Amino acid sequence: MKRELAARIVGALKQAGVDFVAYVPETRMSEILPAMKADGSFALAPVASEAEAVGIAAGAALGGKQAAVYMEGTGLFVSAYNLLTVGERYGVPMILLVAYVGSFEDQRNSFLFSHYGTKTTDLLKTLGIEYVIADAGDHLEARIQDAVRMMNALKLPVALLFTGEFTE
Amino acid sequence: MIRYDCFEWLAPQMTDQLVVTSLSGQRVEWGHLSKREADLNLGSMGNALAVGIGLALALPHRKVFVFESDGSVLLSLFNLPTLANLNPANLAVFVFDNQAYSGTRISYPSATAGKTDLAAVAKGSGVDHSVTVSELAEFKREATAALNESGLRFVVCKIEESVGHRKIARSNVDLMETKYRFVRYLERTEGRPIFQGRG
Repeated sequence: MKRELAARIVGALKQAGVDFVAYVPETRMSEILPAMKADGSFALAPVASEAEAVGIAAGAALGGKQAAVYMEGTGLFVSAYNLLTVGERYGVPMILLVAYVGSFEDQRNSFLFSHYGTKTTDLLKTLGIEYVIADAGDHLEARIQDAVRMMNALKLPVALLFTGEFTE
Repeated sequence: MIRYDCFEWLAPQMTDQLVVTSLSGQRVEWGHLSKREADLNLGSMGNALAVGIGLALALPHRKVFVFESDGSVLLSLFNLPTLANLNPANLAVFVFDNQAYSGTRISYPSATAGKTDLAAVAKGSGVDHSVTVSELAEFKREATAALNESGLRFVVCKIEESVGHRKIARSNVDLMETKYRFVRYLERTEGRPIFQGRG
């Protein structure tokens, strides 16, 4: 992903009030990590598993943070139990920033990812998680603002799936 | 050592500390002995420690206690390296290790009944203060330190498998009610909104 897009994502998250990010690093959107570190307004929690990222973000949200989890799409499968158990069943707002690997528009798609990508939105539907797919930078700031507003309105996790231009 | 005895001693010591509980008998027993708004009963395995870490990071000026079980920690062992590296100084983790999956009807040995030493796993993950206690006096010493001192603590409490919780009437306070009670308590004591958005 181009640095300019990464900077816009980070700026939009900050503008929307997000101030806590738990994450497992991945390839496609990794430029957002140095941008968030450089910005200095995010509490960052590097973790070992997307499963605990969801739990840690939930704890932060219950403690008053506007929480996000940044992960690869495969992490949704890893954290499905936690998203259901803590996120959905308990009703905790958080925004999932997901590199939508294996989707049609994933510019690095391969046999390694396609089997995840074709099942990702079905998984989110099963979990009751609302989502928006972003494949280009137009309206990026509005999409992030809308997603944060929705997570707070629902008091549930919501997901932004980044593909296309974000996976170059 | 019996878990109920630990809780019976600890519950009256609590003031404004936040407590996160997972599942199993400790949830039932703590819920029976403590009726505090600052108690967050998650009602699930493998999540309490992570949620406690998040709370501790979000509220570094508040003390957070996490009550875990051996089965729950074993389900999410990846928490331990994360705990060590984030190292929240306001977090105390007490793992009530009865070496069994001891539910409402079953009793099967967990890995800690075999070769696994959770305090050693935590120590090897980088948690400096990781200890095992097996006597009530030792538990009281660690809990008193957790109440009064700063620094991450990971305390594995070796307990007998008791089935006393099976005789305690279950609470009818559901998870949403618990969450809102906890969040409204935090909003009141922190003097700011936790959940954003108004109707």
